[in-house]
Amino acid sequence: MKSFRQDWLSNVRNDMLAGIVVALALIPEAIAFSIIAGVDPKVGLYAAFCIATVISFTGGRPGMISAATGAMALVMVTLVKDHGLQYLLAATILTGVLQILAGWLRLGALMRFVSRSVITGFVNALAILIFMAQLPELTGVTWQAYTVVAAGLAIIYLFPYLTKTVPSPLVAIITLTAVSIWLGLDIRTVGDMGQLPDSLPIFLLPDVPLNWQTLQIIFPVSATLAVVGLLESMMTAAIVDDLTDTPSNKNRECMGQGVANVAAGFLGGMAGCAMIGQTVINVKSGGRGRLSTLTAGVCLLLMVVFAGPWVARIPMPALVAVMIMVSIGTFNWASVRNLREHPMSSSVVMIATVVVVVATHDLAKGVLVGVLLSGFFFAHKVGKILHIGSKSQDEGRMRAYKVTGQVFFASAERFVNSFDFKEVIEKVCIDVSRAHFWDITAVSALDKVVIKFRREGTEVEVIGLNAASATMVDRFAVHDKPDAVEQLMGH
Amino acid sequence: MKNDNKVLACVDQSHFADYVADYSAWAARRMNAPLEFLHIIDRHPEIATGNDHSGAIGFDAQETLLTELSNEEESRSKAARERGRVFLNRLRERAIASGVEAPDVRQRYGVLEETLVEQQFGVRLFVLGRRGEAAEVTQRDLGRNVESAVRAVHKPILTVTEGFTEPHRAMIAFDGGIVTRRGVEMVAASPLFRGMPVHLLMSGKKSQDASRQLDWAKTTLEKAGFDAPASLIPGDAETTIAKAVREQGIDILIMGAYGHSPLRSLLFGSKTTDLLRAAKIPTLLLR
Repeated sequence: MKSFRQDWLSNVRNDMLAGIVVALALIPEAIAFSIIAGVDPKVGLYAAFCIATVISFTGGRPGMISAATGAMALVMVTLVKDHGLQYLLAATILTGVLQILAGWLRLGALMRFVSRSVITGFVNALAILIFMAQLPELTGVTWQAYTVVAAGLAIIYLFPYLTKTVPSPLVAIITLTAVSIWLGLDIRTVGDMGQLPDSLPIFLLPDVPLNWQTLQIIFPVSATLAVVGLLESMMTAAIVDDLTDTPSNKNRECMGQGVANVAAGFLGGMAGCAMIGQTVINVKSGGRGRLSTLTAGVCLLLMVVFAGPWVARIPMPALVAVMIMVSIGTFNWASVRNLREHPMSSSVVMIATVVVVVATHDLAKGVLVGVLLSGFFFAHKVGKILHIGSKSQDEGRMRAYKVTGQVFFASAERFVNSFDFKEVIEKVCIDVSRAHFWDITAVSALDKVVIKFRREGTEVEVIGLNAASATMVDRFAVHDKPDAVEQLMGH
Repeated sequence: MKNDNKVLACVDQSHFADYVADYSAWAARRMNAPLEFLHIIDRHPEIATGNDHSGAIGFDAQETLLTELSNEEESRSKAARERGRVFLNRLRERAIASGVEAPDVRQRYGVLEETLVEQQFGVRLFVLGRRGEAAEVTQRDLGRNVESAVRAVHKPILTVTEGFTEPHRAMIAFDGGIVTRRGVEMVAASPLFRGMPVHLLMSGKKSQDASRQLDWAKTTLEKAGFDAPASLIPGDAETTIAKAVREQGIDILIMGAYGHSPLRSLLFGSKTTDLLRAAKIPTLLLR
């Protein structure tokens, strides 16, 4: 009861106003992303309505806006081109199912392996992709189109200095639509891009054969969509957490995204997820509760259905201007300024993420590369934390090695090379009480060292295996078992 | 005078605060216990203040917004803290004027219910206004927060009404239940009511069991040196008690509180809530 009141009713006026602002900015975005995906604008608009409405109830992060997004649109381009809309709808439903599964398995916790640099790279790549998606509308068009884009950007960024009560993207769109109709400009309009919604969405099953072959077609796309959607949603949720200083339920968000996508698929919408740009707009406009998301979804549909003929006459360059704004607002400009101050490895991870995404148009691949690279860099850094010192004792009859630091796959070779096997000596004592043996590689490296010394006729004593190392050694090592040499050197 | 036996006066910036201060000062004096004023500052991150509906996002949109929001919140918290400090100091002076030495003050962030639960260790008596700041503008007799706060803690709570008169005549709304029986023992042992007559009132049907219970309570109190007139009046608790309070000039009421689950209260209404509404005098609720 209490959280219901808090999530829905504590901020009614601000939520509704913010929702309307967001809805107005969502319309051009949903249309633009439908065009990216290669489907009719109505697919994106239905998706935006469905996802925003459903997620307002099922999501785990009040105040976050989800709808049809660029990140998802880019993943589905090939599927739509090769197989058509019906397969996209089926893929959308499967995406939802996979996301529900991910939420149920609590995979939201995996987000902790995605480092800050990867997130920054993801966001920057997203902004670049949104911008690049506008290029078709900016190449090979008349000077009139360029003028409209420039005028649009000018209105969007300068109008707020006049008043902040009206959304400036809306002012830009209305003004430019009016001017282009009045002057009869020869530029493309939204109506030229495909069908707009003329009614409320209706429930329908995707018209695809339910067989193995269909699954083979849609599964890879759905899996990527599910991953990309969850990544962007988790990141956006983290941004809202920071902005509003309130916690969110990440696993509920995962499942909520899934439910929203299933609903979108059955109502003729494309898959979507949380939107960074729109969410920032929502929070900036005072949206905090679930009501803001619901208002955004419902208003969007009402506006589109009842103002459909007018929406069709919006010139495309005006939408391009709005999308350029979203792209600018999404890009993390500080990350460029900080490139030289931040550690080299972080910058490399960020840039690699961006490059892979821009090259493949697949945010999932970029994040994978980013996460792997962060892992490599981390292993490399931690692998350096290893020191092996030695001292001869007992009048040159014995040498005592002291190992300090982390021994694992990345540092095992250095560990082995730090021992002097050529030394003619009776006994070697290896003190590992201040070392950690992390994995089988570390354990077999120690085995190797022990065995190598034995082959030189040197007696070896390993002392001070601490508890962590001891368990590893007990389970995996061979040197303290009778036929050690045969086992390790048998081949 | 041990610090873990304090009287905790929970105040917010409603006009009840003064009476809470008066009654808690009275209780602290009588029990010779330290007094602490607790002011809880609610934070409402779920409520926005923004008036920017421009919907335009430019360079560094996220960072700018984060800085803006945190600056806003910072100045709001600072203002609330300062206002709370001045307010608490005024109450402290008031308590000192009425004879409590060195009352302590404390401000905390959070919501009433959770804060009380966190603080209840080391508290002997909570003092609470029957309505708070949030209920200031409504016509409700009992603030919405009060019930949940009373339910949450397991220490006696003195709920205070409008105005302060030093109590001279107490009454226990006795129902023979385990909570009020323990209450009787507590009253007998506590210095809070020492020297004043403690009436025992039991409402409901006359039965052998009831009068035996009542006799036990009377003897317990009398043994502890109280003047304890007992009466068993048929009728429903709410009206009988309200009538007795009026007629006998009772100025503090003692009763058990919220023995049933919140669900049951929601369905059938709560006797405690009804009684609190009917009794216009300070009421000590026993848990």
